[in-house]
Amino acid sequence: MADSKTNAKLDLKPVFFGKKEKKLLLDPLNDNNPITVQVLGICSALAVTTLTTKALTMAVAVTLVVGFSNLITSLLRKLIPSEVRMIAQLIIIATLVTVVSLTLQAVNYPMYKELSVFIGLIITNCIVMGRLEAFAMANDPWRSFLDGIGNGLGYGVILLIIAALRELLGKGAIFGFKLFGPGPDFLVDTQAISMLHWYTPNNLMVLFPSAMFVLAVIIWLHRTWNSKLVDVS
Amino acid sequence: MQKYRYTVLFVLILSATSALILAGMYTGLKDIHEKNAQLFKKRVILKAISPLLDKPVSSLSDDDVEKIFQEKIQQVVLDMEGNPVDAARVAAAGYKKGDALSVDMAKEFKKPEAERLLPLYVYKKGDKKYYITGVMGRGLWDLIWGYIALEEDKNTIAGVAFEHAGETPGLGAEIKDNPSFGQQFVGKKIHDAQGKYHSITVRKGGAKDPNFEVDAISGATLTSDGVTEMLQRSMKYYDPYFQKVK
Amino acid sequence: MELINIFLKSAFIENLALSYFLGMCSFLAVSKSVKTASGLGLAVIFVLGITIPINWLIDHYLLSENGLFGMDLTFLRFILFIAVIASMVQLVEMVVEKVSPALYSALGIFLPLITVNCAILGGSLFMISKELNFSESLVFGLGGGFGWFLAIVAIAAIREKIRYSNVPAPLRGLGIAFIITGFMGMAFMALMGIDPAALVGK
Repeated sequence: MADSKTNAKLDLKPVFFGKKEKKLLLDPLNDNNPITVQVLGICSALAVTTLTTKALTMAVAVTLVVGFSNLITSLLRKLIPSEVRMIAQLIIIATLVTVVSLTLQAVNYPMYKELSVFIGLIITNCIVMGRLEAFAMANDPWRSFLDGIGNGLGYGVILLIIAALRELLGKGAIFGFKLFGPGPDFLVDTQAISMLHWYTPNNLMVLFPSAMFVLAVIIWLHRTWNSKLVDVS
Repeated sequence: MQKYRYTVLFVLILSATSALILAGMYTGLKDIHEKNAQLFKKRVILKAISPLLDKPVSSLSDDDVEKIFQEKIQQVVLDMEGNPVDAARVAAAGYKKGDALSVDMAKEFKKPEAERLLPLYVYKKGDKKYYITGVMGRGLWDLIWGYIALEEDKNTIAGVAFEHAGETPGLGAEIKDNPSFGQQFVGKKIHDAQGKYHSITVRKGGAKDPNFEVDAISGATLTSDGVTEMLQRSMKYYDPYFQKVK
Repeated sequence: MELINIFLKSAFIENLALSYFLGMCSFLAVSKSVKTASGLGLAVIFVLGITIPINWLIDHYLLSENGLFGMDLTFLRFILFIAVIASMVQLVEMVVEKVSPALYSALGIFLPLITVNCAILGGSLFMISKELNFSESLVFGLGGGFGWFLAIVAIAAIREKIRYSNVPAPLRGLGIAFIITGFMGMAFMALMGIDPAALVGK
């Protein structure tokens, strides 16, 4: 065990951003996506995807938290006593989330009020704990940081896709910018186009259960495209 | 025993470091947070008179908002008998700053009716005055509140702004998110020609009486009913004061 | 009674799993069999019923300005709440191991994972934002837990049956579970707005 570890260390040490590091960043975007494959971090994915701006803020927040908690835990990994492993990890995560919350409160107060409870729920976002256990506890700080950022990005991409679909179909807007719908304040005013007179935004998309359906469709497409992910249980 | 001591020490040092970092950030950012909260509230109040402003509220800068409040808005706090109360009395109720902005409508709502304090914002545009009243009630899930701006006749609605604590997005939350809901109130009168108080009813299925009713939001009957009840009860609180100012 | 009102609301009308979609990770992972689902659900009731009132006490007597320290220490909320939850889950783990070793091994890693179940922390955070008093928060915890228990047992029952259906390969497992949950969520939306107080005839 010690042998392979030292070998692995010698192997990776001189490389700062090589193939393996790239894999850490890109894998979670596809093969190892935290939401669609690892089944982590779903809770917040539903409530914050009503608007793309909310999803973006959440994605940035989670990426920072996973990245830095991975980094800090990895730095301390040899010092953490095994009995209190979970508590130590939770303290690190909770502190980072509080930092993010306080920062958001200062930088974008309206968004802070919109996201309310869900910022705090990043602590229980399974992705954070999941990566700490699976990677940061056994790897060096720089790579743990990359793994964290990679997973955060994988999470963020899915979140943005769901939010974009929900906001476009539910309100005809994206990032608050009114694109397609009935009314003069939309870029494409469907009321003005006689063929599209009947169009009203699908309000179901704004309600919570729709996030579940959108996610199911994304998984369906993802697994059809990437057939090695199909559940064979 | 050694290991046990190390474990305890580790957790203590880790917690202490976290607590210190957070305490530092919290104290450092406290003023900014408060300022943000105040600005947020001010923007909602201004939303009630947005038809009267030069620019829509969302394009006003923070400085613009502060300027309007300083130069054009007079803050008054009233008691339920219609008497203006002084800053000391407001501070005694738990609001240290003593002005209308510091009055927490949610907190007042929990008090027995007779003891409540009411915030009032008087907006001056040229030689015209507008009275922005604060209303509070219960929606489907949680509290809802808003600001109703009345013209000098204390009868015609100049604008409204609604907020909610936790209504359903796409349904009850539309009272805030959908501008066409609030738009319905503009120009309506709350008393009839004989002076009788009607308030405005939010009617499910569409307004029947064009004078004192507006359309409810489909699928959000209870939130809409909450708005009706809130307006009916809360706007009347300001009557004693309005009688005195006639 | 106001308390029964809160219990019914948190169990059915504001169901943590189906109205707010909290606790989804374990909800989806453990709902493959009704037996393990009910075991986890019971553990969740217990943990919620205990942690929410304890967190109320901590927030009220330690962190608020009128508390022991006389300062606004609410920024420590997240850390303290999660610490309480972690300790309680540790306790539940020990109890389950003693009382039912079979359940303990069946639940495996998902028992300690209750700590990071968003429904647990979410319950405490909702308790704060709703500004409940002590007895209300106790009832809220028990009701919320009960609602979550019902939800996970229900979806487990459905998933057990759906294994015999012809689900398209890419949707099998996770995908279909999401769709079922979505429909259950929509079904629960029908309960929105019911005022238990009015039903009980006030």
